[in-house]
Amino acid sequence: MVRDFSLFTSPGMGPTPDGDPHAAVACAHDALPIFYSPNNTRDGRGTWVITRAKDQRRVLHDTATFSSHRSIFASALGENWPMIPLELDPPAHGVFRSLLNPLLSPKRVMVLEPAIRERAIVLIDGISAASTSCDVMKDFAFPFAVSIFLHFLGLPDERLDTFVGWGKDLLHGEGVKRTAAARTIVAFIDDLAAERRKEPTDDFMTFVVEAKVDGRPLTDEEVRGIGVLVFVAGLDTVATAIGFDLAYLARNPKDQQLLRREPDRIGLAAEELLRAYSTVQMIRVAKKDIDFEGAPIRKGDYISCATMIANRDPAEFENPNTIDLAREDNRHTAFAYGPHRCLGSHLARREIVIALEEWLSRIPDFRIKEDTVPITYGGHVFGIENLILDWS
Amino acid sequence: MRIIVHRDKCQGHARCWAHAPDVFKLDDEGYILPGDIEVAERDELLATRGARSCPERALEIDRAFDALLDRFLFNQACGGFNT
Repeated sequence: MVRDFSLFTSPGMGPTPDGDPHAAVACAHDALPIFYSPNNTRDGRGTWVITRAKDQRRVLHDTATFSSHRSIFASALGENWPMIPLELDPPAHGVFRSLLNPLLSPKRVMVLEPAIRERAIVLIDGISAASTSCDVMKDFAFPFAVSIFLHFLGLPDERLDTFVGWGKDLLHGEGVKRTAAARTIVAFIDDLAAERRKEPTDDFMTFVVEAKVDGRPLTDEEVRGIGVLVFVAGLDTVATAIGFDLAYLARNPKDQQLLRREPDRIGLAAEELLRAYSTVQMIRVAKKDIDFEGAPIRKGDYISCATMIANRDPAEFENPNTIDLAREDNRHTAFAYGPHRCLGSHLARREIVIALEEWLSRIPDFRIKEDTVPITYGGHVFGIENLILDWS
Repeated sequence: MRIIVHRDKCQGHARCWAHAPDVFKLDDEGYILPGDIEVAERDELLATRGARSCPERALEIDRAFDALLDRFLFNQACGGFNT
């Protein structure tokens, strides 16, 4: 029941030229539906790995047995406070979720759409006027996704590079760099909250410091927990998704042509790309001993529900390793299952679809530039480091 | 066709609404409104797609009523109820 498998250290998980980390972890389905992986977190702890989508659904729904309070961020600082609402369990979770849901609901995202599209168009037109080649990550995906997210928070664009740097160090840096980034982000959020308490504006942080739950204002720790989560969650997930998607289309000209010819398909195609290139590993902590599909899970054990593994489950998806842009009934887990379903999923989806629509309508047939190699990596959040496209 | 809504299972993915916004109504937080949905025939394809894309299995397509109706119409075509 122990298997040499890790999202951090297995082959293809470190920075890999021309890598395909999603295909590399799909092999998890060759063996038992649940196994123990001795080194599957950044701090070197082991986790039980759940490979089947239906079992992941069971874990992520059963919040009474599997807690989401891991203090993943605070523990990097030797502290213990939850990112909110991700690391709160029901019923406390629901109170904060209800507070934040309307800010990122599907209808609210529709209101944001014109500004998102305009941002995409400005960036892409700038790229296309300057050259017939670019690094999509540096020149488009990050500036696009991060500026939308800064706009949402009410922060100015000029600090974009600084924030992207913090995010990189936090999510993909080692030891000291990562702790320093975590400290910087906490200090930044605390300062921002203090400023908005003193001088309210109409931005997200002002909303949070002025909000009430159960008839009382939020504590400083709660404000910090929300601020840090929103900051970290928005920094590189969408950019990474756009990177993987455009890399796929660069390598598969037939599918690129299909979406150019029939842009109405982009919405459905984006769902398939979310399935095939999902990027996040969810971790839960067992609150009690439980026998799960034959595995003796003990209180305190970590349980990994990696979206990229469930989304390649052959019991859930026909030909899971084939990317079929017309796939229907695509009940993938890219945004998780259960009460912790990604709060930003509606915004993320629109950003991805708009990015693909505007890129395809403004940039002619593109491919990966000769003599360049995209570098991919696995880990807690899968990523793509660079993507040089060429349309000369 | 009828869609049975398991409201307690809805987690606000809103995939149903993305396929068929006229069939599936959301509250201000983005979760589906409670109550089963009678789907008009012209909306059946989109409603089926919407229901089948719910990651939480919160939407159940109920065709029992359709089947009854089909049997009734079929029997009628054959000359009324088989008694």
